[in-house]
Amino acid sequence: MTHQTHSYHMVNPSPWPLTGALSAFLMTSGLIMWFHFNSLILLALSLLTNTLTMYQWWRDIVRESTFQGHHTPTVQKGLRYGMILFILSEALFFMGFFWAFYHSSLAPTPELGGSWPPTGIHPLNPLEVPLLNTSVLLASGVSITWAHHSLMEGNRKHTLQALLITIMLGLYFTLLQVSEYYEASFTISDGIYGSTFFVATGFHGLHVIIGSTFLIVCFMRQLTFHFTSNHHFGFEAAAWYWHFVDVVWLFLYISIYWWGS
Amino acid sequence: LLWTAQRTISTASRRQFENKVPEKQKLFQKGNGIPVHLKCGIADTLLYRAIMILTFGGTAYSIYQLAVASFPKKLD
Repeated sequence: MTHQTHSYHMVNPSPWPLTGALSAFLMTSGLIMWFHFNSLILLALSLLTNTLTMYQWWRDIVRESTFQGHHTPTVQKGLRYGMILFILSEALFFMGFFWAFYHSSLAPTPELGGSWPPTGIHPLNPLEVPLLNTSVLLASGVSITWAHHSLMEGNRKHTLQALLITIMLGLYFTLLQVSEYYEASFTISDGIYGSTFFVATGFHGLHVIIGSTFLIVCFMRQLTFHFTSNHHFGFEAAAWYWHFVDVVWLFLYISIYWWGS
Repeated sequence: LLWTAQRTISTASRRQFENKVPEKQKLFQKGNGIPVHLKCGIADTLLYRAIMILTFGGTAYSIYQLAVASFPKKLD
């Protein structure tokens, strides 16, 4: 009897956790070399090895699931728990930055002029590009839902179209934010206002880029027939992540852009 | 045997993407004992070797830099 009699996935031994850990070590060492010794080589190496690790690790997961069939309903349940817990950890990560913002803005110190926004800071108009950005992300939430329903109904063409629209909207958001960053009259070093604004919106922007990348991978997998109408957890995970990114933006918009102006 | 659920409702499209999943399923389900991260042949092996050299080489280099940084040159 050489086949498994349980529904779990006993993974082949894999080198990627090790290369991932080593790339993280190279990243921290690389940052030190950059900050203190003016050398970028270790940091560049760390980014390369980190990217290679992620590519090969996730490539292997696609092989194990789509090509080898290891993702039974039991395994999928575990993956669902995992993705939910990960998104929860990210929510807590952002809560820290919102805490910092509210701590500083609810009781502005005399050094800031006793006001929020601080004296001399000209915040961005929340009814201009930030409002457009809000509508862009909300629309992308609609389009990704359309993509999911099309996928569940077996409509290949609509799934691809809706996914593409979602990705385009994500990229549009990113471009708009980059232009806002360029045009803003304040920088990250303009006191606590600058710090809270750019760290919170900056990490959000990074998550938009990560989410867009995840969606692009899903698009390519849909092109190559990986998803079926009732088994497409990779897509669902990307959709959950995307909705999370949208919700964080709504909190950012209301707190920092609107109330904070 | 692996069940392959219906993956597409075929409609006429400009780009003819063929469904190559069944071929891949056959390739990756070969009972040859090769682990999944090397199962696609030479490309996998090259990529694996590249990342191993980069990570271990990089680690050695960073420990070397640590040693250099631990003994700063005295300024006269």
